[in-house]
Amino acid sequence: MSLGRRAFLQFVGGAIGGTLLTPIPWKLADDSAIWTQNWSWRPSPERGEITRVRSVCQLCPGGCGITARLVNGRRAVAVTGNEAHALSGGGVCPMGASSLQYLYAPYRIQQPLKQMGSRGDSKGFKPVSWAEALKEVTAKLTKLRSEGKSHTVACLTGQKRSTMARLWKRFLTAYGSPNFYTMPDAADSMRLAVALTTGRDAEVGFLWDKATYVLNFGAPLLEGWGSPVYLQKVFGRWQTEKPGVPRTVLVHVESRASLTASKAHRWIACNPGTEAALALGIAHVLVRDKLYDAAFVAEKVFGFEDWTDATGAQRKGFRNVVLAKYGVEETAKITGVAPQTIQDLARELAKQKHALVVWGQDKGDKPNSLYHDLAFLALNALLGTLTPSGTVVLVPPDPWGDLPEPVLDTEAYRGAGQTALGRPSTVPRTKAPVNTVLPFLEALASGSEYPVELLFIHEANPAYSLPETALVTQALQKAAMVVSFSSFMDETTQWADIILPNHTALERLDDVIGLPGAPYVYYALASPIVKPLYDTKGTGDVLLNLAAAVGGGVAESHPWKTYEEVLKATVASIAKAGTGLVATAGSFDPASVLPGRPLQPNFKDAADLWNKLKAGACWVDAPAAVESFATPSERYELACQGLMVSISPTAADDLFMPRFHPLKPSGEESEFPLLLVAYASLMLSEGYVPNTPFMNKLLPDDVLRKQDVFVEIHPETARTLGLADKAAAVLKTPRGETPVRVRLTTAVKPGVVAAPQGFGHTAYDEYVQQKGFNANSLVEVQLDPITGLGTLWATRAQLRRA
Amino acid sequence: MGEVKKSASQKGAGIVFFLAGFIGALLVGWVVFPNVLYSTKTQPITFLHSSHQDSNCEDCHYFRDDGSYNGLPKVAKCAECHAEPMGDSPEEKKLVEEYIQQEREIPWLVYAWQPDNVYFSHAAHTQQQGIECVRCHRDVTKETKNPPFKENRLTGYSDKTMKMVECEKCHAEHGASNACHLCHK
Repeated sequence: MSLGRRAFLQFVGGAIGGTLLTPIPWKLADDSAIWTQNWSWRPSPERGEITRVRSVCQLCPGGCGITARLVNGRRAVAVTGNEAHALSGGGVCPMGASSLQYLYAPYRIQQPLKQMGSRGDSKGFKPVSWAEALKEVTAKLTKLRSEGKSHTVACLTGQKRSTMARLWKRFLTAYGSPNFYTMPDAADSMRLAVALTTGRDAEVGFLWDKATYVLNFGAPLLEGWGSPVYLQKVFGRWQTEKPGVPRTVLVHVESRASLTASKAHRWIACNPGTEAALALGIAHVLVRDKLYDAAFVAEKVFGFEDWTDATGAQRKGFRNVVLAKYGVEETAKITGVAPQTIQDLARELAKQKHALVVWGQDKGDKPNSLYHDLAFLALNALLGTLTPSGTVVLVPPDPWGDLPEPVLDTEAYRGAGQTALGRPSTVPRTKAPVNTVLPFLEALASGSEYPVELLFIHEANPAYSLPETALVTQALQKAAMVVSFSSFMDETTQWADIILPNHTALERLDDVIGLPGAPYVYYALASPIVKPLYDTKGTGDVLLNLAAAVGGGVAESHPWKTYEEVLKATVASIAKAGTGLVATAGSFDPASVLPGRPLQPNFKDAADLWNKLKAGACWVDAPAAVESFATPSERYELACQGLMVSISPTAADDLFMPRFHPLKPSGEESEFPLLLVAYASLMLSEGYVPNTPFMNKLLPDDVLRKQDVFVEIHPETARTLGLADKAAAVLKTPRGETPVRVRLTTAVKPGVVAAPQGFGHTAYDEYVQQKGFNANSLVEVQLDPITGLGTLWATRAQLRRA
Repeated sequence: MGEVKKSASQKGAGIVFFLAGFIGALLVGWVVFPNVLYSTKTQPITFLHSSHQDSNCEDCHYFRDDGSYNGLPKVAKCAECHAEPMGDSPEEKKLVEEYIQQEREIPWLVYAWQPDNVYFSHAAHTQQQGIECVRCHRDVTKETKNPPFKENRLTGYSDKTMKMVECEKCHAEHGASNACHLCHK
C-alpha cells in the first residue's frame, strides 16, 4: 500500500464528502453573511429608552418650538417640531429638522485651541487647556485696560436675539469700549426709521391674522424671512376657509418669481431694488385722489403739509414732494410696473378695512436704506394702519426693562467717550441702537482712526456671511488678536488666535427674545437637549469668568456667577412685570392678541414661569397700542426732524422724508450690462452655520448639480449671450468672478442674474466645501449715506460663456 | 502491453483512504469546528437571578409607558439596592466600586441579542399572545452560576441567539404571518 497520488485523491474525495455532511460549509456561509452586517464602520443605532425633550431652536431668530428624541437620555436621534408651541405649532424648517447634524458634526471644535503657526492656517491650531486660554485673554484685557486702550477691544456677535447680546454689550460698556456690534439685521435700519418717525425704540410687528389685504414689498414670507415657521402657519390660516370671513389677499412685489411670489394671489414684477419707488408711487395716488386716512394724517402726522424747521426755514411737506416727484408715469418708468397697475394697487389698498403694507429682503438679515424704510412706513401711515385699530404695531425690544445698570469706573467712562470705530457722524441720534458693522470693518481693514487690539467673534461667521467677504478677511488680519467662540471650524474662526469653543445650540441654556415681524412681545428659553459632548464652555459663563478676572467696575457690573443666573434675573423681571402668559397651542389663539390689551398671567411666580419656559413653552404678551408719539412734534413724523443733525440745514426738503434713493452700483454698464441679485431659500443656510448634509439632499439638480451651482437668467438674456440651458458660464462682477452654470427661466427679468446664497464654503467638511460659489464674495454692499449701514440691492455683472 | 487491472488489495486501500478522509472530516466538522468557531466568555459580573428571589421579574424587566420593553436594567436600577455593598461577595464589591460608583453601565454579554435589522416586540408576544418568557429564554430561577457565553468569532453573537428559522416555525405553527416586513422593517 503506497501513499501515491491516487491515494491522496481518494483521501480528499472522502474529506469533501465528509465535510458536506458537517455544519462547516453551511454554518460558515450563514455566519459570513451575518459578519458583513457587523463591520465596525456600519452605523448601529443605540438601543434603549426613548425620551423626548422640548426646547426652542436658536439657529435663526424664528424662535420655533422643537422636540428632541433621545435614546437613553444621551444620544439625540431626531429633532421635530413641538406641537404644544403656541406659535410654531409643531412645524420646523429644514435647518431645525437636521440640526443634530451640527451637534454631531465632524467639524466641531472639541477643546480650546491656540494658533501656533501663522494666522489663517487651519492646521496650525494646537489644543490648550481652558485655564491657559482664559489666562491669555484675561492678560490681554487687563493690559489694554491699564494702558488706557479699552476702546480698542471690539465684539461682533451673531446671537442678536438672546441675553448673550446684552451681556456682551454690558461687558464692553463696563470695560470701556463702544465697539459692540451684532451681525447686520433688517431691524438695524428699521429701528432707526421707527425711532425717527415715532420717537420710540421698537421693531415693527404686523397683525397678520387681522389683515385682509397684504401688500408685500419683497419680504420672502415663505422662504425664511422673519419667523419662518410662524409665518408659514399664518399663510396656512390665510388659505383656510372661514365662514363669513373673506380670505386674506397677498400681493407680492419682487423682481423675481420667488416661492412667495408664486404662492401669492398676485405678483407684481418690478425692477430689482425699486420696491420703495413703487410704494411712493402708490402714496402719490393715495394723496392725489385723497384716498388716505385723512383723520389720522390730520391729527397724528407731522410733515404731511408744508412745515417750518428749527431754523425757521419753510420746508415742503410730504404731500407736495410726493405729488411732484412720484407721479404714476415717473414711478412706472423706474419700477417697470404699468401706470394702471400702480393706480389699481392704490385704489385696492384704500378700499380695504384692514390693509397691511409689509417689506423686507432675504431672511431679514440685511439692513435697508433708511429712506426706503421710511417710505414703507409712510405708506402704512397714510393707510392709517398705525392707529390702535390698525394692522401695524410697535413691539418694544425689551419691554420688561434691562438688567441693572453696569458700574462705570474711570476707564469705562473714558472708553465710552470714544467714537465707535468707523461710525459716520451722520448717524441720527435716536433711542435706537446703532450697528455700523461694515464701517467698523472698513476702518479696521484700512487702519484709519485707531487699531483694534482684541476682537471677539461670537456665533458669527462674517468672513463667509457678510457681503464683501474680501473686506472681512482683510479686517480680521488687521486686528491684533482675534478670539473666536465658535463651535465650528468656520471661515472666520480659521483667522482666530485663540478659540474658546461654545456649546452648540442644542447643548446650552439660552434664551430667545422677540419674534421678528410678529405682533407679540415674545420670550422663550432654549434648554439643552443633551449634555455637552466635548470640552466646550457656554460663552455666557466664559464672559462672566473674564469679567471677574478683569476686576474693578467690570467685575462689579457682572455680579452673576453663571449665565443661568443672568437668565433667571431676566425671567424674574418678566414675572415681576405681572403681564403676559405662558402660551400653549390649543388654548392660545394667536389671532386674539391685540395691541393695548395685555394678557393675564397664568403663572404663579418667577420660579413657576422659569420651569414652564424650561419645559419648552413660550411667554407671549400684547404690545401697547400706538396712542401717542414721542417725536419733537409729538406726532408721527413724515418729515423727520431727527434728521436735522444728520444732514445739512440747507439740504433739499425731500432729504428729511421718505424718498426713493438708489445707490449707484460701481462698474461701467458697458462692461457689466447685467444686474446680479442674490436670493435666500429655506433649504440653504447662509448665516453662522452651513448647510447640513440633509439640507443639501433637498436641493434640486437645477440649483446644485455635483459641485456646480446654477444662476437663473431669462431666456432672452441667454439668447443675447449665446448660452443654452445648463451651459457653463463665467459670472463676473466688480468684486470678482466665478464659474457658474445657467438655468433659463422666466422667473427672472431680462437683464437680471439671480444667484442663490449659502454655497461656496471653503471651511467645514467635504459635504459643505467647494460647492459652487459664495454669492457674498461677488455682491457689492453700499453704505447708506446717513446711517452707515451696509445695504444691498443689486450688483453690476457680466456673464460670458465659459 | 496488457491492460492494467486493479487488484482487490488496491481497491480495499482506496476505500481506506476515502474513509480516512471522510471520517476525519466528520470529526473536524462536528467536534473541532464548533470549538474553534466559538470562544467562551464570562460575564463581567456574576449575576444570579436566584439570589434576587425577593424581587419580581417585573422590577427589573418591565414595559415602559410607551409600550417598549426595557430589556436589561441599567446600573441605576442596581444602585437602588447596591449603592453600598450589602454583603461580602467580591462580585458585589466589583459592582459597587467599578460600575455604580463610577456611573458606568455593565457591559453584559446578552445571550439573546438580535441583529439591528430585526424588529422584535416583546409586548406583541408576551402581553398580547401570552407566550411565556422561557419559550425563548432560559429558565433562570434555579441557576447557581452564569452559563458560559459562547461567542461566535465571526458574527459576535451568542450561540444561543435565536435564528430566523425558529421565529418562522413558531409563526407558522400559530398561523402568524411570516411576511418579511413583519420583522425586517
